[in-house]
Formats: sequence, structure tokens, C-alpha cells
Amino acid sequence: MIAYVAIGLLALLSLSIPVGIVLFLLGFGIDWFFSSFPLIRGLGNMVWSASNSATLIAIPFFVLLGEILVRSGVAARTYAALDRWVSWLPGGLVHANVATATMFSATSGSSVATAATVATVAMPQAEKLGYDPKLFSGAIAAGGTLGIMIPPSINLIVYGFLTQTSIPQLFLAGLIPGIGFAIAFIVAVAIICTIRPSLGGERRVFAFSEMMGALTHLLPIILLFTMIIGSIYNGWATPTEAAAVGVAGAFLIAAFFGGVSLTMITESLYGTVKITSMIMLVVIGASFLNFTLASAGLGQALDGFLSSLGLSPMGTLFVIVLMYIVLGFFIETLSLMVVTIPIIVPLVVDLGFDPIWFGILMIVLIEMALITPPVGLNLYVVQGARKDGTMTEVMLGSVPFVLVMLAMVAALIAFPQIALFLPQALN
Amino acid sequence: MKLISTLRTINKGVAMLTGIMLLACAAFVLLDIVFRQLGSSFGGTDEISGYVMAIATSWGMAYTMLELGHVRIDLLRSRCAAKSRCLFDLFSMLVLSGTIVLIALKCWPVLERSIKHGSTANTPLETPLVLVQGPWFAGWVWFAVMACLTTLAALIMILRGELDDTEQAIGAFAEADTLK
Repeated sequence: MIAYVAIGLLALLSLSIPVGIVLFLLGFGIDWFFSSFPLIRGLGNMVWSASNSATLIAIPFFVLLGEILVRSGVAARTYAALDRWVSWLPGGLVHANVATATMFSATSGSSVATAATVATVAMPQAEKLGYDPKLFSGAIAAGGTLGIMIPPSINLIVYGFLTQTSIPQLFLAGLIPGIGFAIAFIVAVAIICTIRPSLGGERRVFAFSEMMGALTHLLPIILLFTMIIGSIYNGWATPTEAAAVGVAGAFLIAAFFGGVSLTMITESLYGTVKITSMIMLVVIGASFLNFTLASAGLGQALDGFLSSLGLSPMGTLFVIVLMYIVLGFFIETLSLMVVTIPIIVPLVVDLGFDPIWFGILMIVLIEMALITPPVGLNLYVVQGARKDGTMTEVMLGSVPFVLVMLAMVAALIAFPQIALFLPQALN
Repeated sequence: MKLISTLRTINKGVAMLTGIMLLACAAFVLLDIVFRQLGSSFGGTDEISGYVMAIATSWGMAYTMLELGHVRIDLLRSRCAAKSRCLFDLFSMLVLSGTIVLIALKCWPVLERSIKHGSTANTPLETPLVLVQGPWFAGWVWFAVMACLTTLAALIMILRGELDDTEQAIGAFAEADTLK
């Protein structure tokens, strides 16, 4: 059955059938070949119960929030403000890319949206100030991946939904690794630019008063983050409700800076519906596959397969990590996450690992998949925002950040507390 | 082709209505949070959000399909010539249409049961399920019909040899373009 799923998955995906449909087809196949009871009778109920979810409505809300912020011009102001604060470091404006991406991650649940936002505002500056395009674009692509790690995160909502894990706990668990990433990226850029100053641009020091003045432009985003996360942990709102609070906050910010117009609202709504349905087809397909796999006894099959391999839990984990890195080269990231959760997570939990910790580990691996070619969405997004130059430059520029991510994978495995400290401390 | 652009226009309208429904739901949730802080509550926002999500999901699907928004892995496809690309696209539309028709058919018993038993939700609101499962089911039927019509239009275009138009209608955007 494992071989059937793996081969079927790769074959159907390579035929370029939509990912959500592939998941349904695999479910039908499991039903046909491996189940004694006609599981397809449950299809309608699965579709209803997977989409009738107050948890998942957080997805369109967070998408909408991001769309509003992107279209209201808040990004450009944030970028300019952060430039004042971090451009004295070796590497100059490259740090502003990482810092802006980090701030936007704290209000956006999507990595691609974050990378797209930062790329649009940063790219014109790169040429003006004479930056090496490789490191500059790599920093945007990598910084953008923080969108799914730092709460709120659409990927963590989907993970929590499919694995029945607490979403607030997942959000908390992502906070330290997310901030750790931001710091590690900045340190890495500073080291690279100290060794090879030509890769960074001019370092600029701004007057203290200018730095203080810039703070006012950072306040809206910081406030929005505090509102969203604060309302969850004060018990005022569930993650879903906090997302609604975020939408209202984004509207207020946009209105304050004069970015609200009818076109902006309609475009944001179109984008929201499109992205939500795209995500939901995959999520509903995965729920159905989940159901068929569980009913057909995938658990026993996997246990049998594993004991035949004779690996230790750590050895198995190592194989799983390796598999994600390899699959991450080729498969779009949300799909990668959703198709593997039903198979991998029960297994990992059986081996005695913590599902919240594994969720975070998976996010790191997914972040890596976002910036590794040939299929790395953030690379394309950043390249799309550039006027000239080749894709290879963006890929090369991402290499140092991939190394940082590998280090984070090792660190998370060696010290699970990096992810688990906050959820346990605040529980 | 005219049919495709008509379908796109109609579904843009549907998407706008769906978007407004989501926006209204966000406002409703927000009001509930405020009221709760003041000591009263509508109650049942969770339940209503769930229904809104189910209905928004099913009705948004066709729009996303026509905007080429459903993710596909085009590693092989993108390496082919225009003619084989169209065959990939047509095949993928046929499979999609078949699957969605099946889903829509299998959603009917869910609604049928609620109609027959006059089922209400097992919640304080006791929502008659027909009221929410009806629009939800209609959304999947809509998606199924739209998928079949699009496939038909694409088939006609391919037979006429209008490969560029076919790609516009059912192709896959390069991954980065999908996000704009």
C-alpha cells in the first residue's frame, strides 16, 4: 500500500493533474484496492465536514489581511523605516530585506505573499544603491519563507487541522525558531559581507533622530501583530477570531495611510477567494485521503514496513528529513505538506516524537523547499519582481540561507526545546 | 473563445459575492468578540463561520479553476511542445471534471438525508441543515457544471487547432504568475 501511494502520487502529479484532484484519485484507488468496505460512501460527508470548519475560516481571513497590507502601500514605508535601523551593519540594505520580511511574516500567514511584498519594494533600491543582485535577492527569497514560521501561519493552521494539534500551541512553538531564523540570517549576511564586502552595498548610518522618526512607520505592523497574537493568548479570541481582528486592523492601517479604495478592496477579495479555494481543494482532498488511508489500515502497513527496515527512531527521523529535502526540490510546498501529513505524522508520533515539535521541524523543511530549485516558489516570485538578470543568480544567493536552514534542522533535532519551550512554559 | 470568457465573467461575479460573504463573516466575528467583552454574545459564531467556510469553498472553486489557480506540478508539462502541453491540459481537465462530478453526486446523499429527516445541527442554534447544506451542495454542482463546460470548450478549441487559446483557457501559469 505504501508503494502504491508513493508511486501513484508521483505518477499522477507528474501528469500535471491538479494536486487536490490527485489526492482524491489516490483515495479512490485505496478504496478500490485495499478496503473491504466501500469508503466512497463517506465521500460526501468528508467533503462537508472538512470544509464546514470554523478553524479553517482563518485561512481566508489571513489571506485577506495580507492582500490588504500588500495593496495599501504599508510595505514600502516599513521597508524604508527598517533601512534606517539596520543599514549600518556589514551588508547594508540586505538586512532591511530580512527585517522587513520578518515583520511582514508576523502579520502574514503565507511565505509567498511575504516574499512578493518585500521583493516589490526592495528591488528598485538594489539597483539604485549598487548591490550585488545575488545575495540581495537570495535574502528576500529566504526572508520571505519566515511567513509560514512566525505566527500567524496558514501552513500551521492546516497542519493543526489535519493532525488535531492545538493551533495556538503551534503558533507559540514557531515563534522562537522564527526569530532565531531572522537573527541567523542577519548574522550570516553580516559574516559574508565582512569577508567579501563587494557582495553587500554601501553601509549607511542614519542620525538617531531619523531612526526614531522611522519608528512611527513600524508601529502599525507591530501593533497589528500584538493585536492578533495578544488576543489569542489573552483568551479573548480563538485563532480564527484573531484573524478577523487582523482583517479589521489591516483595514484601519490602510485607511490611516490613505490606501483604501474600491479597487483595492475588490482586488483583495478576488485574491482571497482564489487562494482560499486553491488551498481548500488540496485540504479537502487530503482529508479524504487521510480517511481512506486510516480506514484501510495504513498504520499497520507502515509499522510492518518500518520494523522490516530495523531503524532506530532517530534513524527513521533522519530518513524522513532526507525525504522532505529531496521531495522539496520538486513539489510545491503546501502540497508537499498536505500529501505527506496523513502518512508521516502518525508514524512520527508513534515513534515517540512530539507532534507540535514535528510540525515546526516540517515547517523548516518546507521553508527550505521554497528556496531550492527547480521548484521553489519564492525563487520565482523574487525573480518575477526583478527587471533583468537570471534565475540562477537568485538560486545562488539563496545558498547561504539554505545552509542556515539545515543548521536549524539539526538544532531542532538536537534541542527540541527550541520549539517546545514556549508552548510548555505558557501552558 | 466566447464561452470561456462568458464563464469567466459570471464566475468573477460569483467570486465577488463569495468574497463579500467572507468579509461579512469577519465583521460578524469581530462584533461577537466586542459583545463578549461587554458581557453578552450572539453565540454560535463558530458554527456560522463553519457554514460560511463550507459554502465559500464550494462556490469559489470554479472561479479558481477558470483563473487557472488550482496548483499543478508542471515539471514535465512545461518541457513539452505546445501541442503536447494542450494534451496534458485537456487530460487534466477531463480528470478534474470526472472527479468533481463524482464529488457533487456523492454530496447529494448528505443533503438528501438532511431533507428527509429535517435534520438540525446538534448545537444551541439548531440550524436546519438544509439551509446550509443546500447552498453548499449547489456550489459543488456549479463547479461540476463549470468544469464540464470548460472541458467541452477546450476540446472544441483543440479540435479547431486553436492551441494558444486552449492554453489561455485551461493551461497552467508558470508558478510565479499564479500568484499575481
